[in-house]
Amino acid sequence: MALHWSLFKAMFWEEWRLHRSFVGSVGSGFFPVVIFFFSLVLAATSPVLLRKMDMGTILLAIHLSAVMYGLGVGALAQIGEQVMTRRLGQVNMLLQLPALQPISFKTVMGVFFFKDAVYYILYSIIPLVGGIAAAIPLTRITPLGASLLFVTVLLTFMMGMALSFLLSAISIRSKAAAGASALLIILLAASAWPLRLLSPGQILLPLGYWEGHQPWQLAASIALVIVLSAAAILLMKERFAPPERRYESRLIPLEAAFAFTKDMRTLVAKEWLELRRSGAFGAVFTGFLGPLLGIYAIIWLFRQGMGIPLDFSVVFYGGILGFLGLMTYSWLTNLEPNEFLNVQPVGVDRVIRAKLVLYFLLTTPVSLGYLVFIGVLNDELSLLPLAALVGLSTMIYVAAVTGRMTGLRANTMLFDAKVLGRFSAAIVPPLIAVTLISFWLEKSPIVGSLSLCLLAVALLIVSRHLFAGLAKRWGKESFGI
Amino acid sequence: MAVIEVEKLARRFGDFEALKEVSLSIEEGEFFGLLGPNGAGKTTLVRILTGQLAPTSGRARTMGCSPDEPVALKMKVGIVPEAESPPTFLTAREFLQLICRIRNLDGMDQKVEKWLEFFQLEEKKDVLCRDLSKGQRQKVMLAAAFISEPRLLILDEPFINLDPIFQKKLREYLQDVVKEGRTVFMCSHILEIVEKLCTRVAVINQGRIVAHGTLEEIRSSKGERLEDVFMRLIEGS
Repeated sequence: MALHWSLFKAMFWEEWRLHRSFVGSVGSGFFPVVIFFFSLVLAATSPVLLRKMDMGTILLAIHLSAVMYGLGVGALAQIGEQVMTRRLGQVNMLLQLPALQPISFKTVMGVFFFKDAVYYILYSIIPLVGGIAAAIPLTRITPLGASLLFVTVLLTFMMGMALSFLLSAISIRSKAAAGASALLIILLAASAWPLRLLSPGQILLPLGYWEGHQPWQLAASIALVIVLSAAAILLMKERFAPPERRYESRLIPLEAAFAFTKDMRTLVAKEWLELRRSGAFGAVFTGFLGPLLGIYAIIWLFRQGMGIPLDFSVVFYGGILGFLGLMTYSWLTNLEPNEFLNVQPVGVDRVIRAKLVLYFLLTTPVSLGYLVFIGVLNDELSLLPLAALVGLSTMIYVAAVTGRMTGLRANTMLFDAKVLGRFSAAIVPPLIAVTLISFWLEKSPIVGSLSLCLLAVALLIVSRHLFAGLAKRWGKESFGI
Repeated sequence: MAVIEVEKLARRFGDFEALKEVSLSIEEGEFFGLLGPNGAGKTTLVRILTGQLAPTSGRARTMGCSPDEPVALKMKVGIVPEAESPPTFLTAREFLQLICRIRNLDGMDQKVEKWLEFFQLEEKKDVLCRDLSKGQRQKVMLAAAFISEPRLLILDEPFINLDPIFQKKLREYLQDVVKEGRTVFMCSHILEIVEKLCTRVAVINQGRIVAHGTLEEIRSSKGERLEDVFMRLIEGS
C-alpha cells in the first residue's frame, strides 16, 4: 500500500508538471479559477436561463458534458503521455516504470487511473460545482441540490473516464473488439437520441437520479464505475518494447507531390510524414473542426434553445476561422523536437515556414467546406466569396502573428505574460473589427463589403511583413524544448 | 590556413562561467583533440564553434564564419552532437535523403547507399530512427555528418555507443580524412583513441584551456601516458 501511495504522489506531481510544461504555471493554476467563475456566472444567470430552457435540458447538458469530459480525459492521458515522451526524448514518464522496474503494468495503470480521477476532480469538477455552490445566495439553488449535483456529475465523469480506460485496455488486446465496443456505445447513445427508445437517464444513471430519485440509481452508478475500471485494469496487458516499425521511403515521392511549395517542398514532405506517422493526424484535424462546429452549436443553442436572436452571417464565421487555427498550428509544433537539425544548415525559421505551409494545406479545405456549410444553412451563398476572403486573410494573419511571436513553442510561449499581451494586442482588434463590420453588412452592404475587403488587404500586407521577419526573429534560435 | 580561430572566448549562463578567455587556433589538415572532465566546457565550446550558441564575449571563426552566421557555417562543416538524436518519425534512409536535400548535394542515391553500406545499416534503412538501437542511431548521426564530405568535421564523442569493430572502422576513416588534407576537431573521453589519432590536443578544465599543443609538448617527461598527463593537468588546475 505504501508503494501505491508513493506512486500516486509521484504521478500526481508529474501530471501537474506536465500541465505546467504545456501551458506554464500561471495557465495551469488559472484553469480551475476560470472554471469556477464560468460556472458561477452561468449559475447566477440561471433564472434567465430557466425562462427559456427547462431544468431537465440544463441537467442533460451538464451531465453530457461531464461524460464527454471523462471520455476525453481518458483519451488525452494516452495522447499526452506519447507527446511528452516524444518531446523529452529519452526521458520516460512514470507510466513506463514497468519496463525497467519490478512492478506490474496493471499496478501502474491502476494507480494512474486513480491519480487521473483525483487530479481532474480537483482540477475541474470541484471548481465547476464550487461555482454553482457559490451562486446559492443569488439563486434558488439549495445546498442540498448543489451537493447532489456534485455527486451525480462526479459519477458521470468517472463513468466516462472508466469507459475510456476500458476501451484503451480492450484495444491493447484486440483492435476489432475495441471497434465493436465503441460501436456498441454509439448504438446505446443512438437508442436515446435520435431513436428515443430509452431516456438519457436510463443510460446515464446519475442523470436518471434527477428523474427517479431512487437511491439504487446512485448505487448502480458507483458499481458501474467500479466494474468498468476493474475490468480495464484486469484487461491491461504487460507492455513490451514495440517492434521496430519499417516504412518504404516516402520522402522523395512526397517531395514531388509538394513541388508546388517550391523551395519548401522537402521540409513540408518531412512535416507531412511526421504528422502521419505520429498518429496525430486525427487529433490535428478534429482539433480544428471540433471548435468550429462547437461555436456553431453554441450559437444555434442560444438562438433555438433560448430564443436569443444571434444572427451571425457567414462572414462572421469566416472571421473566426483564422483565430481557431491556433490550436492546429500548436499541435504541429509538438510532433518532433527537431534537435537533429541543430547541426544542419537549416534555421528554425525554415521549419516554422514548413509548418505554416502544412497548416494552410490542412485547414484551407476544411475552412472553405465549413463556410459553404454555413452559407447553405444561413441561405447566404452570395456572401461566400467575401466570407472566403475574410476567412483566408485572417487565417494567414493569425498564422503569421503566431509563427513570428511563438515560433515552434506556441504551447508554452503563449503563457508568457509578455508574449500573450503582444499576441492579444495583435489579434483582438482585427477580430473585433471583422465581427462589427459583419454585423454592419446587412445595413450597408456596399460600405461593409468594401471595409472588409480593405481590412483583408491590410491583414495580408501586415502578414507579408511578419513572414519576412521570421528569419530575423528565429534564424539564430536552436531547435528543441 | 586556420579553419578554427578562437580569441578570448567567454560564455556565461547566468552566474555560471562555462568558458573563460579561451583562445585556440586549428590549422587545416590537423587532427585536433579537445579533452576535459565532465562539465569542463567542451560541449559549450563545440556549440559556439558550430553556430548553435552565441558567445558572451570574444571572437570565434569556423571556416571563416562567425557563430552569427549559423546556416552558412553549418553548410561548411560536418557535425556530430554529443547526444544522438536523429528524427523520430523518419527512417534512416529518409533522414540521409533529407540531409542531402538540405545541403544541396548531387548524387543523392549513391551517397545515401554508400554511407548506409559503410555503417552496415542496409538492413535497417527502412526502420524508423526512433526504433533503432543507440549504436545504430549514432551511426546514422555519423553518416549525416560525413555524407557531404566537408573540409572540417567537428565531432563530440563520436565513438560513444559504437562496438569495437566500428570504433576501428571510424578511426581508420578519420585518419584517411586527415590524410586527404581535411580537418577533424574531436572531443572525447577515450584517451587511448585521442593518443592514437590526434596530432594536437587541448585540455580544458572549469572553462579554461589548461594545456595546448602536440602530445610531446604537453608531456612533462618522455613516455608519460596521456592519462597521466590528463590527471596531472586536471588535478593541478
